[in-house]
Amino acid sequence: MSEVTMPRLSDTMQEGTIAHWLKKAGDEVKKGDILAEVETDKATMDLEAYEAGTLQQILVQEGETVPIGQAVALIGTGAVAQKPEQPAPAPAADRTGVEEAPATAPVQAESTTGSQEAVEKRDNGALVKASPLARRMAEEHNIDLSQVRGTGPGGRIVRDDIEDVREQQHAAPAPTPPAPASQPAAPPQEVPGPAAQLAAPPPDVEISKLSRVQMLIARRLTESKQTIPHFYVSSEVDMTDALAMRQVLNADVGEDGVKVTVNDLIVKACALALEKFPEVNSTFKDDQRIQYKHINIGIAVDVPSGLVVPVIRNTNIKGVRSIAREAKALIAKARANKLAPADLEGGTFSVSNLGMMDASNFIAVINPPQAAILAVASTRKQFVPVDGQPVIRDLMTMTLSADHRVIYGATVARFLQEVKRLLQNPYNLLG
Amino acid sequence: MADITYRQALHDTLREELLRDENVFLLGEEIGTFEGSYKITAGLLKEFGPKRVVDTPIVENGFVGMATGAAMLGLRPIVEIMTINFIVLAMDQIVNHAAKIYAMFGGQCPVPLVIRTPGGGGQQLAATHSQNLEVWFAHVPGLKVVAPSTPADAKGLLRTSVRDNNPVIFLENLALYNVKGEEPGSDYMVPIGQAKVTKEGTDLTVISYSRMAAVALDVAQRLEQENNLSVEVVDLRSLRPLDHETILNSVRKTNRAIVFEEDWRSFGIGAEIAALVQEEAFDDLDAPVKRVASLEVPLPYSKPLEMATLTGAKQLLESINELAPRRRRR
Repeated sequence: MSEVTMPRLSDTMQEGTIAHWLKKAGDEVKKGDILAEVETDKATMDLEAYEAGTLQQILVQEGETVPIGQAVALIGTGAVAQKPEQPAPAPAADRTGVEEAPATAPVQAESTTGSQEAVEKRDNGALVKASPLARRMAEEHNIDLSQVRGTGPGGRIVRDDIEDVREQQHAAPAPTPPAPASQPAAPPQEVPGPAAQLAAPPPDVEISKLSRVQMLIARRLTESKQTIPHFYVSSEVDMTDALAMRQVLNADVGEDGVKVTVNDLIVKACALALEKFPEVNSTFKDDQRIQYKHINIGIAVDVPSGLVVPVIRNTNIKGVRSIAREAKALIAKARANKLAPADLEGGTFSVSNLGMMDASNFIAVINPPQAAILAVASTRKQFVPVDGQPVIRDLMTMTLSADHRVIYGATVARFLQEVKRLLQNPYNLLG
Repeated sequence: MADITYRQALHDTLREELLRDENVFLLGEEIGTFEGSYKITAGLLKEFGPKRVVDTPIVENGFVGMATGAAMLGLRPIVEIMTINFIVLAMDQIVNHAAKIYAMFGGQCPVPLVIRTPGGGGQQLAATHSQNLEVWFAHVPGLKVVAPSTPADAKGLLRTSVRDNNPVIFLENLALYNVKGEEPGSDYMVPIGQAKVTKEGTDLTVISYSRMAAVALDVAQRLEQENNLSVEVVDLRSLRPLDHETILNSVRKTNRAIVFEEDWRSFGIGAEIAALVQEEAFDDLDAPVKRVASLEVPLPYSKPLEMATLTGAKQLLESINELAPRRRRR
C-alpha cells in the first residue's frame, strides 16, 4: 500500500485543497489517471496517480486543505476490504468464537470510512489525539473527531481545529438537509456532518467560505493597498482611428480566425510605451528599484471564482495578432479554471479593462510585485470640437495606478501620453 | 494619586501601622540605626524609639523565635529578614513553632506575626543570596504567604498582613523596590488569598506573582499593542491560601495557561497551579499548562551566566508564541 501525497505543483505552493475527487475508494486506477483536482494558490491542477492499483482510501475530503507532502489517499493492490483499519480476517480468526467477521466483511467493504468506533480511532487505526477542550466541543457540536485534522503539537486536535470545522459547516450547509429516509448510504465523506443542520446561519445573511484563490486575492490586494503608495493619472484617448483599423484588421478574418480586440491593441500600445519608459516596468523591493528586462503584460480576467491575471510574455515583440491569439487562449483557460502556474507568473505590468461593461471611469489596485496597472474604461461617442465645429469621436478614459516609490507623476504622464499617441496613430502598433 | 515606589509604599505602611496600633513593633538586622539594608525602615527608629524598632543580632532563629513568643503574648511583631536566603536559619521557628502553635494548643493563642523578606536574583549576588524560596512556606499549613507585585498591593497586603492573626510570610523582591506605581487610598486593603486579573485577555492566561507578575503584565500589554495577541494576566498576590476561583475562571475563559515564576521549576508554584488546573478545569484545557521558570542550577555570579539562568520577558514571550492558539498567531 502506498500513499498518494499532496504534490508541490508550483514554486510558491505550500498547501493545496482537494477541489474534487474524480475517483472514489475501491476504484481501479492506472498510472497517470487523474485522481483529483487540486486547488493551489495559483490554479486548479490535476493530481495524477503515480502507480497502478486500487484506490484504497481517501484520506482528505473535498474542500480540505493540507500541506504539501501529506498523504491524501492510499493506493494498494487487492480489495478494499483488506484495508488495515478493518479487522483483517487473520486476526479475527485467531480470536476464538468470533464468527461475525467474515460475514460482515463485504458490507464493510462498501463503507469507505470506518466511523463506527471513530471517536477514539483514526481510519488508519491511530488513536485520535485531542485536547480535552476539543473533545468537549466536538461532543457538544456532534463532530466526529476521527474526521478532524489536528494542527496542534503532534497532530493534536485543538480548539482551533474544531472551530475550523464549525466554520466550514456554517459556510457549507449540508447538501441534502432533508435527506430522504430511503437513501441510507450516502458516502460519509460527502456529508460535512450532522452538526451542519444544528448550527443554522443567521437568517438575513448567507455566509460562504472564500476559495483559496479568493483568499489569496484578498490577501494580496490588501497588502497592495496597504503597503504601496498608489497614485493615479488619467488620460482621455480618441479611439476613433483605432476602432476603424480594428474593423479593417478583422474584416477578412475567416470563421476560425482570431479577431483582434480593443484590449489587444491597448496591451500592445502599453508594451511599446513600456519599452520607452522602462521605469514603469519595474518593482520596488528592499529600497531598490528592480527594472525588468522583459515586458510581460498581465490581463485581468473575470472568472466565476474571482479574478485572475494570466500573462502574455514578451508582449512588446509580439504582433497584435499573436497577442490576440494568446489572450484568447488564456481567457478560455481562465474561464475553464485550467490555468497553469506558469500562465500566471512573471507579469511586469497589468491591464484591467471594464470597457465592455460600460464603466465610464475606474481605477485599479496594483497587482504586486508590479508597480503599475492600467484601468481601461468604455469608449463612448462624444462631441469634440474640431476646428471650432462639434464632431463625434470615440473617446476612452484610461487611468494608470502607479507605485510612487519607484515611479513619479511626470513619468506616468509621459507614459500615458505615449500610449495615447500610439492608440491615436494605431498603425504604429502594427510596425 | 501620585506615584510612589514599592520601597516607599512599604515604609509608609510600616509607619502607619506603628502609629495605628501600639502593639505593632519591628525587629530585624540593621533595621534601626542603619535604617535597613534596603532602607525600608528609614527614619523609623528616630520616630518610634528602640522599643518599637529593634535592632537584633545576626541570629535569625533567635529573633524569629523571640517574635513568635511576642506574638503569642499579644504583640504584633513585624520581622525583617534581610533576604529570604537567611530565612533558612529560622525554619524551625517558622515551620515547627509559628505555623503550628495555634492549632496544636487548641486555639488558645494565635500568632499574629509578619515576616517581611525580599527574594529574587539578578543583582549579581550569587547562588546563596539570590534565591526564591517562597514555595517552601507556601507548602506549610498554618502559614499565609503573600507576594505583591505593585506598590499599591504592597500597601494593601501589608496592612491586612499586620492585622491578620496568623503568621504571614510577606514576600518582597529586590528588583521591585524601585518600581513605581500608583499610591492607593489610605483605606486600600487587599484580602489575603485574593488574586487579581491585572489585564483581561482572551487568547491565553499568564499566571504569576511578585516581580514576574509585573514582567508578565508588561509583556502582555506590549503584545496587545504590537500584534493583537490578547493575553490575560493573573497576579496571584497570595500564594497561600491560593485563589483557585480566579485562576480557574481565567483558564476556563482562555483555555490555555502559562505559569511564570522566577524560582526553580520542579515542585514549584507552577507545578501546583498546573495540577490544580488539570484537576478542576480539565475539560476546558486546549493545551497542557506550560511552566516558565528559571534554570535549575545554583545561580552563577557571572553576569552573562546569571542572565542566561534567570527567566524573564524573553522566555515568557517565547512560550506565549508557542502556546498561542493558531488562529490568533500572526
